[in-house]
Amino acid sequence: MNANAVRILFLKDLYLSRRFLFGYLAGAMASAIMTCLPYKAASDVGFILMITVTIATGIHMIGLLMLGDGLEHTRAFVLSMPVSVLDYSVSKIAVVLCTFLIPWSLMLGLAMMGSFLLPYAKPGVVVVLPAIFCFMLSCFTIQLVSAVVTDSIGWTIVVMVAGNVGLNLFLMNFNADPSVIAAAKSETVTWPPLVLQVLAVEWLVILGAIAMAFYFQTRKRDLV
Amino acid sequence: MKATIMPDQPPTTEPNRGEATEQTTMVQLTGVTKQYQHFQLEPVDLQLPAGMVMGLIGPNGAGKSTIMRIMMGLVNPNSGTVQVLGQTMSSNASIVKQEIGYFSDDLRLYGAESLGWHMQFVRSLYPHWDQEYAQMLLSRFGLLEQQRIKGLSHGQRVKAMLLLILARRPKLLILDEPTNGLDPVAKQEVLAELMQVMNDDDRSIIYSSHQTQDVEQISDWLTFIDRGRVIASDNRDDFLECWRRIKLRAPESWKMPPIPGLRHESQLQNFRVLTIDRFHSRVAETLVASGAEVEAIETMTLEEIFVGVVMRGREIESR
Repeated sequence: MNANAVRILFLKDLYLSRRFLFGYLAGAMASAIMTCLPYKAASDVGFILMITVTIATGIHMIGLLMLGDGLEHTRAFVLSMPVSVLDYSVSKIAVVLCTFLIPWSLMLGLAMMGSFLLPYAKPGVVVVLPAIFCFMLSCFTIQLVSAVVTDSIGWTIVVMVAGNVGLNLFLMNFNADPSVIAAAKSETVTWPPLVLQVLAVEWLVILGAIAMAFYFQTRKRDLV
Repeated sequence: MKATIMPDQPPTTEPNRGEATEQTTMVQLTGVTKQYQHFQLEPVDLQLPAGMVMGLIGPNGAGKSTIMRIMMGLVNPNSGTVQVLGQTMSSNASIVKQEIGYFSDDLRLYGAESLGWHMQFVRSLYPHWDQEYAQMLLSRFGLLEQQRIKGLSHGQRVKAMLLLILARRPKLLILDEPTNGLDPVAKQEVLAELMQVMNDDDRSIIYSSHQTQDVEQISDWLTFIDRGRVIASDNRDDFLECWRRIKLRAPESWKMPPIPGLRHESQLQNFRVLTIDRFHSRVAETLVASGAEVEAIETMTLEEIFVGVVMRGREIESR
Protein backbone atom coordinates (compact mmCIF):
# COMPACT_ATOMS: atom_id res chain seq x y z
CA MET A 1 0.00 0.00 0.00
CA ASN A 2 1.22 3.48 -0.89
CA ALA A 3 0.50 5.66 2.16
CA ASN A 4 1.13 8.87 0.25
CA ALA A 5 -1.39 7.95 -2.45
CA VAL A 6 -3.95 7.01 0.23
CA ARG A 7 -3.39 10.36 1.97
CA ILE A 8 -3.78 12.31 -1.29
CA LEU A 9 -6.97 10.45 -2.23
CA PHE A 10 -8.37 10.84 1.29
CA LEU A 11 -7.75 14.60 1.30
CA LYS A 12 -9.16 14.89 -2.21
CA ASP A 13 -12.45 13.26 -1.16
CA LEU A 14 -12.58 15.27 2.06
CA TYR A 15 -12.20 18.42 -0.05
CA LEU A 16 -14.86 17.31 -2.53
CA SER A 17 -17.35 16.69 0.27
CA ARG A 18 -16.48 19.85 2.21
CA ARG A 19 -19.67 21.81 1.46
CA PHE A 20 -21.96 18.95 2.49
CA LEU A 21 -19.81 18.17 5.49
CA PHE A 22 -20.07 21.76 6.73
CA GLY A 23 -23.84 21.59 6.16
CA TYR A 24 -24.16 18.41 8.19
CA LEU A 25 -21.91 19.81 10.91
CA ALA A 26 -24.17 22.86 11.11
CA GLY A 27 -27.20 20.55 11.28
CA ALA A 28 -25.50 18.49 13.97
CA MET A 29 -24.71 21.58 16.04
CA ALA A 30 -28.24 22.96 15.66
CA SER A 31 -29.89 19.67 16.62
CA ALA A 32 -27.54 19.17 19.58
CA ILE A 33 -28.25 22.70 20.81
CA MET A 34 -32.00 22.07 20.48
CA THR A 35 -31.80 18.97 22.64
CA CYS A 36 -30.15 21.08 25.32
CA LEU A 37 -32.94 23.71 25.38
CA PRO A 38 -34.98 23.70 28.63
CA TYR A 39 -38.22 22.69 26.90
CA LYS A 40 -39.23 19.08 26.44
CA ALA A 41 -40.75 19.72 23.00
CA ALA A 42 -37.57 21.41 21.76
CA SER A 43 -35.48 18.63 23.24
CA ASP A 44 -37.59 15.96 21.52
CA VAL A 45 -37.42 17.77 18.18
CA GLY A 46 -33.68 18.17 18.66
CA PHE A 47 -33.29 14.44 19.24
CA ILE A 48 -35.33 13.59 16.15
CA LEU A 49 -33.23 16.08 14.18
CA MET A 50 -30.06 14.40 15.45
CA ILE A 51 -31.26 11.04 14.17
CA THR A 52 -32.28 12.65 10.87
CA VAL A 53 -28.92 14.38 10.42
CA THR A 54 -27.08 11.13 11.21
CA ILE A 55 -29.10 9.10 8.70
CA ALA A 56 -28.86 11.82 6.03
CA THR A 57 -25.09 12.17 6.50
CA GLY A 58 -24.59 8.44 6.13
CA ILE A 59 -26.60 7.93 2.99
CA HIS A 60 -25.35 11.14 1.38
CA MET A 61 -21.67 10.42 1.96
CA ILE A 62 -21.98 6.84 0.76
CA GLY A 63 -23.79 8.06 -2.34
CA LEU A 64 -21.42 10.94 -2.99
CA LEU A 65 -18.07 9.35 -2.24
CA MET A 66 -18.55 5.62 -2.68
CA LEU A 67 -21.20 5.20 -5.37
CA GLY A 68 -20.75 8.60 -7.05
CA ASP A 69 -17.25 7.73 -8.28
CA GLY A 70 -18.65 4.84 -10.28
CA LEU A 71 -21.72 6.67 -11.54
CA GLU A 72 -19.81 9.80 -12.55
CA HIS A 73 -16.95 7.78 -14.12
CA THR A 74 -14.43 9.60 -11.93
CA ARG A 75 -13.28 6.23 -10.52
CA ALA A 76 -11.69 5.37 -13.86
CA PHE A 77 -9.92 8.73 -13.84
CA VAL A 78 -8.50 8.13 -10.36
CA LEU A 79 -7.54 4.53 -11.08
CA SER A 80 -5.80 5.51 -14.31
CA MET A 81 -3.21 7.20 -12.08
CA PRO A 82 -0.54 5.45 -9.97
CA VAL A 83 -3.05 4.18 -7.44
CA SER A 84 -3.64 0.53 -6.58
CA VAL A 85 -7.04 -0.97 -5.84
CA LEU A 86 -5.92 -1.30 -2.21
CA ASP A 87 -4.90 2.39 -2.00
CA TYR A 88 -8.22 3.39 -3.52
CA SER A 89 -10.25 1.11 -1.26
CA VAL A 90 -8.51 2.15 1.95
CA SER A 91 -8.88 5.85 1.17
CA LYS A 92 -12.54 5.48 0.15
CA ILE A 93 -13.65 3.51 3.18
CA ALA A 94 -11.60 5.75 5.48
CA VAL A 95 -13.01 8.99 4.08
CA VAL A 96 -16.62 7.75 4.07
CA LEU A 97 -16.25 6.65 7.70
CA CYS A 98 -14.55 9.92 8.61
CA THR A 99 -17.19 12.16 7.02
CA PHE A 100 -19.86 10.21 8.91
CA LEU A 101 -18.02 10.06 12.20
CA ILE A 102 -17.28 13.80 12.39
CA PRO A 103 -20.93 14.96 12.77
CA TRP A 104 -21.84 11.69 14.55
CA SER A 105 -19.23 12.17 17.26
CA LEU A 106 -20.01 15.88 17.54
CA MET A 107 -23.68 15.11 18.21
CA LEU A 108 -22.91 12.27 20.60
CA GLY A 109 -20.35 14.39 22.44
CA LEU A 110 -22.63 17.44 22.76
CA ALA A 111 -25.59 15.31 23.83
CA MET A 112 -23.49 13.53 26.48
CA MET A 113 -22.05 16.82 27.67
CA GLY A 114 -25.55 18.27 27.91
CA SER A 115 -26.71 15.38 30.08
CA PHE A 116 -23.99 16.28 32.60
CA LEU A 117 -24.12 20.06 32.40
CA LEU A 118 -27.80 20.92 32.03
CA PRO A 119 -29.57 21.33 35.35
CA TYR A 120 -32.74 19.47 34.33
CA ALA A 121 -30.97 16.53 32.62
CA LYS A 122 -30.15 13.28 34.40
CA PRO A 123 -26.52 12.09 34.15
CA GLY A 124 -27.80 8.52 33.78
CA VAL A 125 -28.88 9.31 30.20
CA VAL A 126 -25.22 9.07 29.31
CA VAL A 127 -25.48 5.27 29.17
CA VAL A 128 -28.44 5.32 26.78
CA LEU A 129 -26.99 7.71 24.20
CA PRO A 130 -23.99 5.58 23.09
CA ALA A 131 -26.23 2.56 22.51
CA ILE A 132 -28.54 4.58 20.27
CA PHE A 133 -25.71 6.31 18.38
CA CYS A 134 -23.78 3.08 17.93
CA PHE A 135 -26.92 1.47 16.51
CA MET A 136 -26.97 4.21 13.87
CA LEU A 137 -23.25 3.70 13.26
CA SER A 138 -23.78 -0.03 12.78
CA CYS A 139 -26.63 0.68 10.31
CA PHE A 140 -24.29 3.03 8.45
CA THR A 141 -21.50 0.44 8.21
CA ILE A 142 -23.97 -2.14 6.87
CA GLN A 143 -25.06 0.39 4.23
CA LEU A 144 -21.39 0.91 3.41
CA VAL A 145 -20.91 -2.83 2.85
CA SER A 146 -24.01 -3.00 0.67
CA ALA A 147 -22.73 -0.06 -1.41
CA VAL A 148 -19.34 -1.74 -1.82
CA VAL A 149 -20.77 -5.13 -2.72
CA THR A 150 -23.63 -4.04 -4.99
CA ASP A 151 -22.29 -0.72 -6.34
CA SER A 152 -25.98 0.14 -6.63
CA ILE A 153 -27.91 3.12 -5.29
CA GLY A 154 -31.12 1.09 -5.36
CA TRP A 155 -29.82 -1.70 -3.15
CA THR A 156 -28.14 0.75 -0.80
CA ILE A 157 -31.44 2.59 -0.34
CA VAL A 158 -33.18 -0.72 0.38
CA VAL A 159 -30.60 -1.41 3.11
CA MET A 160 -31.00 2.14 4.43
CA VAL A 161 -34.79 1.74 4.67
CA ALA A 162 -34.33 -1.59 6.46
CA GLY A 163 -31.87 0.09 8.82
CA ASN A 164 -34.34 2.89 9.61
CA VAL A 165 -37.11 0.40 10.31
CA GLY A 166 -34.66 -1.48 12.52
CA LEU A 167 -33.77 1.74 14.35
CA ASN A 168 -37.44 2.44 15.13
CA LEU A 169 -37.94 -1.09 16.45
CA PHE A 170 -34.74 -0.80 18.45
CA LEU A 171 -35.76 2.54 20.02
CA MET A 172 -39.22 1.22 20.89
CA ASN A 173 -37.89 -1.89 22.63
CA PHE A 174 -34.69 -0.49 24.09
CA ASN A 175 -36.33 2.59 25.63
CA ALA A 176 -39.14 0.46 27.07
CA ASP A 177 -36.79 -1.84 28.96
CA PRO A 178 -37.13 -1.22 32.76
CA SER A 179 -33.36 -1.42 33.38
CA VAL A 180 -32.72 1.16 30.65
CA ILE A 181 -35.49 3.47 31.97
CA ALA A 182 -34.09 3.21 35.47
CA ALA A 183 -30.55 3.91 34.31
CA ALA A 184 -31.66 6.92 32.24
CA LYS A 185 -33.47 8.48 35.20
CA SER A 186 -30.64 7.83 37.61
CA GLU A 187 -28.63 10.67 39.18
CA THR A 188 -25.51 8.54 38.83
CA VAL A 189 -24.05 6.77 35.83
CA THR A 190 -24.77 3.07 36.02
CA TRP A 191 -24.38 0.63 33.12
CA PRO A 192 -27.13 -2.01 33.04
CA PRO A 193 -26.07 -5.40 31.58
CA LEU A 194 -28.52 -4.97 28.68
CA VAL A 195 -26.81 -1.73 27.56
CA LEU A 196 -23.39 -3.37 27.70
CA GLN A 197 -24.65 -6.37 25.71
CA VAL A 198 -26.22 -4.10 23.12
CA LEU A 199 -23.00 -2.08 22.81
CA ALA A 200 -20.95 -5.26 22.42
CA VAL A 201 -23.19 -6.55 19.63
CA GLU A 202 -23.20 -3.15 17.92
CA TRP A 203 -19.40 -2.97 17.91
CA LEU A 204 -19.15 -6.51 16.60
CA VAL A 205 -21.43 -5.52 13.73
CA ILE A 206 -19.50 -2.27 13.11
CA LEU A 207 -16.08 -3.91 13.03
CA GLY A 208 -17.35 -6.89 11.05
CA ALA A 209 -19.00 -4.65 8.49
CA ILE A 210 -15.88 -2.51 8.05
CA ALA A 211 -13.77 -5.66 7.62
CA MET A 212 -16.25 -6.97 5.05
CA ALA A 213 -16.22 -3.66 3.18
CA PHE A 214 -12.41 -3.87 2.87
CA TYR A 215 -12.57 -7.53 1.93
CA PHE A 216 -15.09 -7.11 -0.87
CA GLN A 217 -13.65 -3.86 -2.19
CA THR A 218 -10.11 -5.20 -2.50
CA ARG A 219 -11.30 -8.44 -4.14
CA LYS A 220 -13.08 -6.70 -7.00
CA ARG A 221 -11.56 -7.75 -10.31
CA ASP A 222 -12.88 -4.95 -12.48
CA LEU A 223 -13.38 -1.49 -11.04
CA VAL A 224 -14.58 0.23 -14.20
CA MET B 1 -22.94 -8.48 -59.61
CA LYS B 2 -21.66 -11.51 -57.80
CA ALA B 3 -18.95 -11.34 -55.20
CA THR B 4 -16.62 -13.94 -53.75
CA ILE B 5 -14.71 -13.70 -50.48
CA MET B 6 -11.34 -15.44 -50.59
CA PRO B 7 -10.00 -17.39 -47.61
CA ASP B 8 -6.81 -16.05 -46.20
CA GLN B 9 -3.96 -16.90 -43.89
CA PRO B 10 -4.42 -15.98 -40.22
CA PRO B 11 -3.18 -12.47 -39.40
CA THR B 12 0.22 -11.87 -37.94
CA THR B 13 -0.18 -9.83 -34.80
CA GLU B 14 3.44 -9.06 -34.01
CA PRO B 15 5.34 -6.31 -35.77
CA ASN B 16 7.95 -7.92 -37.97
CA ARG B 17 10.10 -4.96 -38.90
CA GLY B 18 13.78 -5.63 -38.40
CA GLU B 19 14.37 -2.54 -36.28
CA ALA B 20 11.34 -3.18 -34.09
CA THR B 21 12.69 -6.39 -32.62
CA GLU B 22 15.82 -4.59 -31.44
CA GLN B 23 13.83 -2.00 -29.49
CA THR B 24 12.45 -2.22 -26.00
CA THR B 25 8.97 -3.67 -25.84
CA MET B 26 6.56 -1.23 -24.21
CA VAL B 27 3.49 -3.46 -24.18
CA GLN B 28 3.23 -7.20 -24.57
CA LEU B 29 -0.09 -9.04 -24.42
CA THR B 30 0.09 -12.82 -24.58
CA GLY B 31 -3.04 -14.94 -24.93
CA VAL B 32 -5.19 -12.34 -23.20
CA THR B 33 -8.89 -13.16 -22.99
CA LYS B 34 -11.84 -11.54 -21.29
CA GLN B 35 -15.35 -12.87 -20.97
CA TYR B 36 -18.35 -10.63 -20.37
CA GLN B 37 -21.97 -11.68 -20.44
CA HIS B 38 -22.45 -10.64 -24.07
CA PHE B 39 -18.90 -10.22 -25.26
CA GLN B 40 -15.85 -12.42 -25.52
CA LEU B 41 -12.36 -11.12 -26.18
CA GLU B 42 -10.60 -13.99 -27.91
CA PRO B 43 -6.90 -14.66 -27.21
CA VAL B 44 -5.02 -11.47 -28.05
CA ASP B 45 -1.28 -11.36 -28.70
CA LEU B 46 0.08 -7.86 -29.26
CA GLN B 47 3.48 -6.30 -29.00
CA LEU B 48 4.32 -2.60 -29.08
CA PRO B 49 7.99 -1.63 -29.42
CA ALA B 50 9.26 1.67 -28.00
CA GLY B 51 8.81 4.73 -30.16
CA MET B 52 5.99 3.24 -32.19
CA VAL B 53 2.43 4.45 -32.63
CA MET B 54 -0.02 1.60 -32.93
CA GLY B 55 -3.51 2.33 -34.19
CA LEU B 56 -6.23 -0.02 -32.98
CA ILE B 57 -9.04 0.15 -35.48
CA GLY B 58 -12.34 -1.56 -35.02
CA PRO B 59 -16.06 -0.98 -35.21
CA ASN B 60 -17.99 0.02 -32.09
CA GLY B 61 -18.05 -2.88 -29.64
CA ALA B 62 -15.11 -4.63 -31.29
CA GLY B 63 -13.09 -4.86 -28.05
CA LYS B 64 -10.68 -1.93 -28.41
CA SER B 65 -11.62 -0.35 -25.07
CA THR B 66 -11.49 -3.72 -23.30
CA ILE B 67 -7.95 -4.30 -24.57
CA MET B 68 -6.90 -0.83 -23.42
CA ARG B 69 -8.51 -1.24 -19.99
CA ILE B 70 -6.68 -4.54 -19.62
CA MET B 71 -3.40 -2.81 -20.55
CA MET B 72 -4.12 -0.22 -17.86
CA GLY B 73 -4.92 -2.83 -15.22
CA LEU B 74 -8.44 -1.42 -14.84
CA VAL B 75 -9.92 -4.71 -15.97
CA ASN B 76 -8.42 -8.10 -15.15
CA PRO B 77 -8.22 -10.59 -18.02
CA ASN B 78 -9.62 -14.09 -17.55
CA SER B 79 -6.40 -15.53 -18.92
CA GLY B 80 -3.11 -14.48 -20.45
CA THR B 81 -0.34 -12.15 -19.34
CA VAL B 82 -0.01 -8.39 -19.65
CA GLN B 83 3.41 -6.80 -19.51
CA VAL B 84 3.69 -3.05 -19.70
CA LEU B 85 7.07 -1.28 -19.60
CA GLY B 86 8.66 -4.58 -18.69
CA GLN B 87 6.49 -5.13 -15.62
CA THR B 88 3.65 -7.54 -15.03
CA MET B 89 0.55 -5.40 -14.86
CA SER B 90 -1.40 -7.55 -12.40
CA SER B 91 1.18 -7.12 -9.63
CA ASN B 92 2.85 -3.79 -10.42
CA ALA B 93 0.03 -1.70 -11.85
CA SER B 94 0.44 1.29 -9.55
CA ILE B 95 4.19 1.55 -10.28
CA VAL B 96 3.77 1.12 -14.02
CA LYS B 97 1.01 3.72 -14.18
CA GLN B 98 3.57 6.38 -13.18
CA GLU B 99 4.75 6.16 -16.78
CA ILE B 100 1.40 5.84 -18.57
CA GLY B 101 -1.04 8.44 -19.76
CA TYR B 102 -4.48 6.95 -20.34
CA PHE B 103 -7.33 8.68 -22.09
CA SER B 104 -10.79 7.27 -22.55
CA ASP B 105 -14.21 8.69 -23.15
CA ASP B 106 -15.20 6.79 -19.99
CA LEU B 107 -12.98 8.98 -17.84
CA ARG B 108 -14.60 12.00 -16.25
CA LEU B 109 -13.10 14.82 -14.28
CA TYR B 110 -14.82 16.30 -11.22
CA GLY B 111 -17.39 18.66 -12.73
CA ALA B 112 -17.62 21.06 -9.79
CA GLU B 113 -13.87 21.62 -9.59
CA SER B 114 -11.62 23.77 -11.74
CA LEU B 115 -8.98 22.65 -14.21
CA GLY B 116 -6.36 24.23 -11.92
CA TRP B 117 -7.55 22.04 -9.02
CA HIS B 118 -7.25 18.96 -11.24
CA MET B 119 -3.73 20.01 -12.25
CA GLN B 120 -2.77 20.27 -8.57
CA PHE B 121 -4.35 16.90 -7.81
CA VAL B 122 -2.64 15.06 -10.67
CA ARG B 123 0.64 16.83 -9.93
CA SER B 124 0.57 15.53 -6.36
CA LEU B 125 0.62 11.95 -7.70
CA TYR B 126 3.26 12.46 -10.41
CA PRO B 127 6.77 13.49 -9.43
CA HIS B 128 7.67 14.05 -13.10
CA TRP B 129 4.84 16.54 -13.67
CA ASP B 130 6.07 19.27 -16.03
CA GLN B 131 4.40 22.51 -14.91
CA GLU B 132 6.02 24.57 -17.66
CA TYR B 133 4.69 22.22 -20.32
CA ALA B 134 1.28 22.23 -18.61
CA GLN B 135 1.19 26.03 -18.80
CA MET B 136 2.18 25.88 -22.47
CA LEU B 137 -0.60 23.39 -23.20
CA LEU B 138 -3.08 25.59 -21.35
CA SER B 139 -2.33 28.43 -23.69
CA ARG B 140 -2.08 26.24 -26.81
CA PHE B 141 -5.46 24.62 -26.09
CA GLY B 142 -7.05 27.95 -25.09
CA LEU B 143 -7.92 26.74 -21.59
CA LEU B 144 -7.94 28.63 -18.29
CA GLU B 145 -6.93 27.15 -14.94
CA GLN B 146 -9.90 28.69 -13.15
CA GLN B 147 -12.47 27.18 -15.55
CA ARG B 148 -14.76 24.67 -13.92
CA ILE B 149 -14.96 21.34 -15.71
CA LYS B 150 -18.76 21.37 -15.91
CA GLY B 151 -18.59 24.66 -17.82
CA LEU B 152 -16.34 23.25 -20.53
CA SER B 153 -17.48 22.07 -23.94
CA HIS B 154 -16.79 18.47 -24.99
CA GLY B 155 -13.77 19.56 -27.01
CA GLN B 156 -12.39 21.56 -24.10
CA ARG B 157 -12.86 18.61 -21.76
CA VAL B 158 -10.92 16.37 -24.11
CA LYS B 159 -8.14 18.95 -24.28
CA ALA B 160 -8.19 19.36 -20.48
CA MET B 161 -7.85 15.61 -20.06
CA LEU B 162 -5.01 15.49 -22.59
CA LEU B 163 -3.26 18.31 -20.76
CA LEU B 164 -3.49 16.36 -17.50
CA ILE B 165 -2.06 13.32 -19.26
CA LEU B 166 0.68 14.90 -21.35
CA ALA B 167 2.11 17.11 -18.58
CA ARG B 168 3.00 13.91 -16.67
CA ARG B 169 5.50 13.24 -19.45
CA PRO B 170 4.48 9.58 -19.76
CA LYS B 171 6.56 7.06 -21.70
CA LEU B 172 3.43 5.33 -22.95
CA LEU B 173 0.17 6.91 -24.05
CA ILE B 174 -2.93 4.75 -24.24
CA LEU B 175 -5.58 6.78 -26.02
CA ASP B 176 -9.04 5.32 -26.44
CA GLU B 177 -10.91 7.26 -29.12
CA PRO B 178 -9.56 10.68 -28.10
CA THR B 179 -10.99 12.47 -31.14
CA ASN B 180 -14.52 11.12 -30.72
CA GLY B 181 -17.09 13.89 -31.00
CA LEU B 182 -14.55 16.63 -31.72
CA ASP B 183 -15.11 19.26 -34.38
CA PRO B 184 -12.57 19.21 -37.25
CA VAL B 185 -10.51 22.08 -35.82
CA ALA B 186 -10.31 20.62 -32.32
CA LYS B 187 -9.50 17.22 -33.82
CA GLN B 188 -6.57 18.66 -35.78
CA GLU B 189 -5.31 20.48 -32.66
CA VAL B 190 -5.36 17.25 -30.69
CA LEU B 191 -3.70 15.23 -33.46
CA ALA B 192 -1.06 17.95 -33.98
CA GLU B 193 -0.20 17.85 -30.27
CA LEU B 194 0.08 14.07 -30.37
CA MET B 195 2.40 14.26 -33.37
CA GLN B 196 4.46 16.79 -31.44
CA VAL B 197 4.63 14.35 -28.55
CA MET B 198 6.00 11.72 -30.90
CA ASN B 199 9.12 13.80 -31.46
CA ASP B 200 10.35 12.08 -28.34
CA ASP B 201 11.65 8.88 -29.93
CA ASP B 202 11.23 6.73 -26.85
CA ARG B 203 7.59 7.51 -26.39
CA SER B 204 4.98 5.05 -27.63
CA ILE B 205 1.32 5.48 -28.30
CA ILE B 206 -1.56 3.07 -28.63
CA TYR B 207 -4.39 4.90 -30.26
CA SER B 208 -7.83 3.46 -30.86
CA SER B 209 -10.53 4.76 -33.11
CA HIS B 210 -13.14 3.70 -35.58
CA GLN B 211 -12.21 6.76 -37.66
CA THR B 212 -9.51 5.47 -39.94
CA GLN B 213 -8.34 8.90 -41.17
CA ASP B 214 -7.30 9.95 -37.66
CA VAL B 215 -5.42 6.73 -37.05
CA GLU B 216 -3.77 6.85 -40.47
CA GLN B 217 -2.35 10.30 -39.71
CA ILE B 218 -0.33 9.33 -36.67
CA SER B 219 0.08 5.54 -36.63
CA ASP B 220 2.93 3.54 -38.04
CA TRP B 221 1.49 0.17 -37.09
CA LEU B 222 -2.15 -0.83 -37.51
CA THR B 223 -4.15 -3.52 -35.79
CA PHE B 224 -7.68 -4.29 -36.90
CA ILE B 225 -10.12 -5.72 -34.37
CA ASP B 226 -13.60 -7.03 -34.90
CA ARG B 227 -15.99 -8.89 -32.62
CA GLY B 228 -13.34 -9.48 -29.98
CA ARG B 229 -10.71 -10.82 -32.38
CA VAL B 230 -7.54 -9.32 -33.80
CA ILE B 231 -8.11 -9.85 -37.51
CA ALA B 232 -5.03 -8.15 -38.97
CA SER B 233 -1.94 -6.36 -37.75
CA ASP B 234 0.71 -4.82 -39.98
CA ASN B 235 2.85 -1.85 -40.78
CA ARG B 236 0.68 1.03 -42.02
CA ASP B 237 2.75 1.55 -45.18
CA ASP B 238 2.61 -2.15 -45.97
CA PHE B 239 -1.17 -2.06 -45.67
CA LEU B 240 -1.38 0.89 -48.03
CA GLU B 241 1.26 -0.44 -50.45
CA CYS B 242 0.03 -4.00 -50.68
CA TRP B 243 -3.69 -3.46 -51.06
CA ARG B 244 -4.95 -2.71 -54.58
CA ARG B 245 -8.24 -2.75 -56.41
CA ILE B 246 -7.82 -4.02 -59.98
CA LYS B 247 -10.53 -3.35 -62.53
CA LEU B 248 -10.42 -5.55 -65.60
CA ARG B 249 -12.42 -6.85 -68.51
CA ALA B 250 -12.39 -10.49 -69.49
CA PRO B 251 -14.74 -12.84 -71.33
CA GLU B 252 -17.29 -14.59 -69.10
CA SER B 253 -15.54 -17.87 -69.89
CA TRP B 254 -12.22 -16.44 -68.65
CA LYS B 255 -10.50 -18.57 -66.04
CA MET B 256 -8.63 -16.48 -63.52
CA PRO B 257 -5.02 -17.53 -62.94
CA PRO B 258 -3.86 -18.02 -59.32
CA ILE B 259 -3.35 -14.55 -57.80
CA PRO B 260 -1.50 -14.39 -54.48
CA GLY B 261 -3.37 -12.41 -51.83
CA LEU B 262 -6.67 -12.30 -53.67
CA ARG B 263 -9.18 -11.10 -51.10
CA HIS B 264 -12.33 -10.42 -53.03
CA GLU B 265 -13.69 -10.78 -56.52
CA SER B 266 -16.85 -9.32 -57.98
CA GLN B 267 -18.16 -9.69 -61.49
CA LEU B 268 -20.77 -8.04 -63.69
CA GLN B 269 -20.84 -9.76 -67.09
CA ASN B 270 -17.31 -9.30 -68.47
CA PHE B 271 -16.34 -6.55 -65.99
CA ARG B 272 -14.52 -7.69 -62.89
CA VAL B 273 -13.08 -6.05 -59.78
CA LEU B 274 -10.38 -7.85 -57.82
CA THR B 275 -9.16 -6.80 -54.39
CA ILE B 276 -5.72 -8.08 -53.45
CA ASP B 277 -3.56 -7.58 -50.38
CA ARG B 278 -0.17 -8.62 -51.82
CA PHE B 279 0.08 -6.44 -54.86
CA HIS B 280 3.09 -6.68 -57.13
CA SER B 281 3.63 -5.48 -60.70
CA ARG B 282 3.75 -9.13 -61.80
CA VAL B 283 0.07 -9.47 -60.83
CA ALA B 284 -0.97 -7.22 -63.71
CA GLU B 285 1.35 -9.07 -66.09
CA THR B 286 -0.15 -12.41 -65.04
CA LEU B 287 -3.67 -11.10 -65.63
CA VAL B 288 -2.83 -9.71 -69.07
CA ALA B 289 -1.06 -12.93 -70.03
CA SER B 290 -4.20 -14.87 -69.12
CA GLY B 291 -6.27 -12.85 -71.61
CA ALA B 292 -7.74 -10.16 -69.37
CA GLU B 293 -7.63 -6.46 -70.18
CA VAL B 294 -6.56 -4.48 -67.09
CA GLU B 295 -8.44 -1.16 -67.07
CA ALA B 296 -7.22 0.30 -63.79
CA ILE B 297 -5.12 -0.46 -60.75
CA GLU B 298 -6.30 1.70 -57.84
CA THR B 299 -4.80 2.31 -54.45
CA MET B 300 -7.19 1.86 -51.53
CA THR B 301 -7.85 4.07 -48.56
CA LEU B 302 -7.28 2.70 -45.10
CA GLU B 303 -11.03 2.75 -44.56
CA GLU B 304 -11.59 0.60 -47.64
CA ILE B 305 -8.89 -1.79 -46.51
CA PHE B 306 -10.36 -1.95 -43.03
CA VAL B 307 -13.87 -2.61 -44.33
CA GLY B 308 -12.46 -5.24 -46.67
CA VAL B 309 -10.65 -7.02 -43.85
CA VAL B 310 -13.65 -6.88 -41.52
CA MET B 311 -16.14 -8.07 -44.12
CA ARG B 312 -13.88 -10.92 -45.15
CA GLY B 313 -13.39 -11.93 -41.53
CA ARG B 314 -17.13 -11.95 -40.88
CA GLU B 315 -17.79 -13.90 -44.06
CA ILE B 316 -15.28 -16.57 -43.07
CA GLU B 317 -16.71 -16.65 -39.53
CA SER B 318 -20.25 -17.18 -40.81
CA ARG B 319 -19.29 -20.17 -43.01
